[in-house]
Amino acid sequence: MGALLVFLGCGASPGGPDGSFRVALVTPGSIADASWNAGAYQGLLLIRDSLRAQVSQVEARTPSDQEEALRTYAAQGYALVFAHGFEFQDAAERVAADYPETIIVITSGQRVTGNVVPLIFRLSEATYLAGIVAGSLTKTNKIGYVGGIELPPVRMAYEAWSQGAKSVNPQVESRGTYLNNFDDAVAGREAALAMIRLGVDMLHHNADAAGLGVFQAAKEHRGVYVFGSNADQSDVAPEQVLGSAVIDLPGAFLAVSQEVLEGRFIPRVESFGLESGVIKYVANPALASRVPADVMALVQEAETAIISGALQVADRETGRVIPGKR
Amino acid sequence: MNRLRQFGVGFLLPLALGLAALSLLLWGLDYDPSAGLRALWSGAFGSWYALTSATLVRATPLIILGLGFALAFRGGALNIGMEGQFLAGAIAATWVGVRVGAWHPLLAVPAVWAAGILAGALWVLVPVLLKLRLGVLEVITTLLLNFVAEAVVSYMVQGPLQEVSRVYPQSDPLALAAQLPLLGGTRLHLGFAVGLVLAGVGALIFARSVWGFKLKAVGAGPRAAWMSGRIPSARLLAGALLISGAIAGLGGAIEVGGVTHALFQNLSPGYGFTAIAVALLARGDPIGIVGTGLLFGALEAGASAMQRDAGIPSVAVSIVQATVIIVILLGDVAARRRRTLTVAPEVIEVE
Repeated sequence: MGALLVFLGCGASPGGPDGSFRVALVTPGSIADASWNAGAYQGLLLIRDSLRAQVSQVEARTPSDQEEALRTYAAQGYALVFAHGFEFQDAAERVAADYPETIIVITSGQRVTGNVVPLIFRLSEATYLAGIVAGSLTKTNKIGYVGGIELPPVRMAYEAWSQGAKSVNPQVESRGTYLNNFDDAVAGREAALAMIRLGVDMLHHNADAAGLGVFQAAKEHRGVYVFGSNADQSDVAPEQVLGSAVIDLPGAFLAVSQEVLEGRFIPRVESFGLESGVIKYVANPALASRVPADVMALVQEAETAIISGALQVADRETGRVIPGKR
Repeated sequence: MNRLRQFGVGFLLPLALGLAALSLLLWGLDYDPSAGLRALWSGAFGSWYALTSATLVRATPLIILGLGFALAFRGGALNIGMEGQFLAGAIAATWVGVRVGAWHPLLAVPAVWAAGILAGALWVLVPVLLKLRLGVLEVITTLLLNFVAEAVVSYMVQGPLQEVSRVYPQSDPLALAAQLPLLGGTRLHLGFAVGLVLAGVGALIFARSVWGFKLKAVGAGPRAAWMSGRIPSARLLAGALLISGAIAGLGGAIEVGGVTHALFQNLSPGYGFTAIAVALLARGDPIGIVGTGLLFGALEAGASAMQRDAGIPSVAVSIVQATVIIVILLGDVAARRRRTLTVAPEVIEVE
C-alpha cells in the first residue's frame, strides 16, 4: 500500500517554469488498475513532462462526484479536462454549459456538444485480433469475457472478441458477464472462476481494477490464459497473458493537449483504430512460443484487412461494432 | 456545561486524534502533511462553493439515512439494508419523475418523494414480516436485500427505465418539474433542508412523544417494557423499521431529484453503510446526526480536494474516519467498565 501511495503521489507537482497551461484528469476508478485508468494517468504525466503543464488528477466514482469534480476543475480555470469514460457525458455537458472556456474531453464519448468532445477508441479492432488468438488456441472451444459496467465500449469490446474467435473457429462458445462495477476484484475473480468451472480456457476482460481478479483466477488454474485490456498487461500475469488489446492513451492524450496548448484545437469527433497506431494488439513476448506462427499470420492478415478497410469490425465514425458473421 | 464537555470529549478529541493519525501517515509516506490538511480544509469549508456544493451535498444523504438508522436503532432493531431501501426509493422516484413533465413542481416533487418513501418502506416490509412471523433476524434479511436492490437497479437502467436512445446504462433525466430547486450558483438542493427538518422532527419524537418514549423503552429492554408498561415491542419495532425504510427511500428520491437527476448504476458509493457509522457516532441522537453527517460529508469533500490539489490519494482520509470510530468505541467500552464496576452490586437477576 505504501509503495502505491508514493506512486500515486507524484501526480500533482506543479509544472515547469511556465505552469500556466493546466490540465486535469478525472478517473472513474483507481489509477492503480494497470489498465484503463493507469493509462490515462500516464498520459497526464506525459503531458506534464512534455508540455510543462500543471496537472491534477482526482478519482470520482458516482455521478454526483463526477459532476462535482468536473465543475471544480472548470471553476478553477483548467484549460483542458479529461473526463475518462463514457459515463461522464451528461455531467460534462451540464458543466460545460456554465464554463464554456474549459475544453472537456470525454474518452470513449460519443458526441460533440460545444467544448465537450469525444475521443472514440475502436478497441474492438484489437479485441477482434485477441479473439482470433483465443479462438485458435482454445482446447475446450469455450471462451469467456468479464466486463465491468455494461457501457457500450465495454460491450462492443466483447462483441468483437467473440466475432474474432468465431471467425477462425466456428465451434467456439462465447460467454460474457458484467460485474456492474469496475472496482471489485473479488467479484472479477469469482466471475472468472465460474467460467473456468464451465470449461472456459481463454479469458478476456474489460473491468479495470476488477479485472485484476480475472488474472488472479487464471493464475490459479494451469492451462487457462488471459488477454489484457486497455494497456499492455503482460506484466500482471506473465505466465498467463498471451496478449493485450491496448489503447495508447498517453499518445492520444498528448496529441489533443498539444493542439489545445497551441490554440489550434477544433471541437470534433476523433476516432482511433488500428490504423492510427493508438489501438493495437500486443502479444506477450514471454509466451510467444505458445502461439504458433500460423495463428500469428491470421492475426497479421486480419490486422492488415482492418487497416485497409477490407474488413470492417467497427464503424469508423461512431466506433460501433458492426454485427454479422465474419 | 456537561453537554459542552461531552461534545469536546465525544467529538472533538476523536477528530483531533484522527487528523493526527492522518498527518502521521502523510509524513511517513513523504507527503507534506500541512499541505494535505490545508487542502482537506479548503475542500470542505474553504469557500462558499466548497461548503455548499461539496460538503453539504455529500452530507445530505448521510444525514437522512443516519436518521433512518437511528429510528430503528433506538428501538433495538438494526436496519443494515438502507443501501437497498435508498436504491429502491431512487428507482421508484425515477419511475415517477420521468412521467410528471406536465405537472406543477408543487405536485411533481411530492409525488416523487411519495414514490421513494413507499418503495423504501416496501423494501423493508419483507424483513419486517419475516421477523414478526418467523423471528428471522432483520440484520441478515435487510443486508441481503441490498444486493437484490443493486441487481434491480442494473436491470432497470438496461431495461424498463433505460434512456430513450438505449445506449447508456442510465435512465432518462427526471422532468424539470421533478428536479429539486438549487441554491443559486451552487449544487446544494432542497434535500438538505429536508434532512434538517427530519432531524428536528426526530428530536421531538424522542423527547416529547409517547411513541418515542415507548420505542426507547423497548430499545432499553423489551421484556422490561412489556412487564412494566405493557408495551408491545414487536409491533412497535415493526413500525420503526418501516419508517426507517421509508426515510431511506426518501433519501434515494432526494438524491435522484436533487443531485443526479437520473438513475445510474453506481448511484451510491455506500451511503447506506457510511450512514450507520454516522448514526452510531451520534449515539442515535437526531441533532447529533446532523453534526456527524456534516463531519463525514466534510471529510469526503476534503478528501477529493486533497487528491486534486495536493496529489494525495483520497483514500488516505479513511484513516480519519476509522480513528474517530475506534476512539469513540474505546471511550464507550471504558465508560461501560467504569459504570459496571460501580453499579454491578445493585443488579438483581429477575426470573
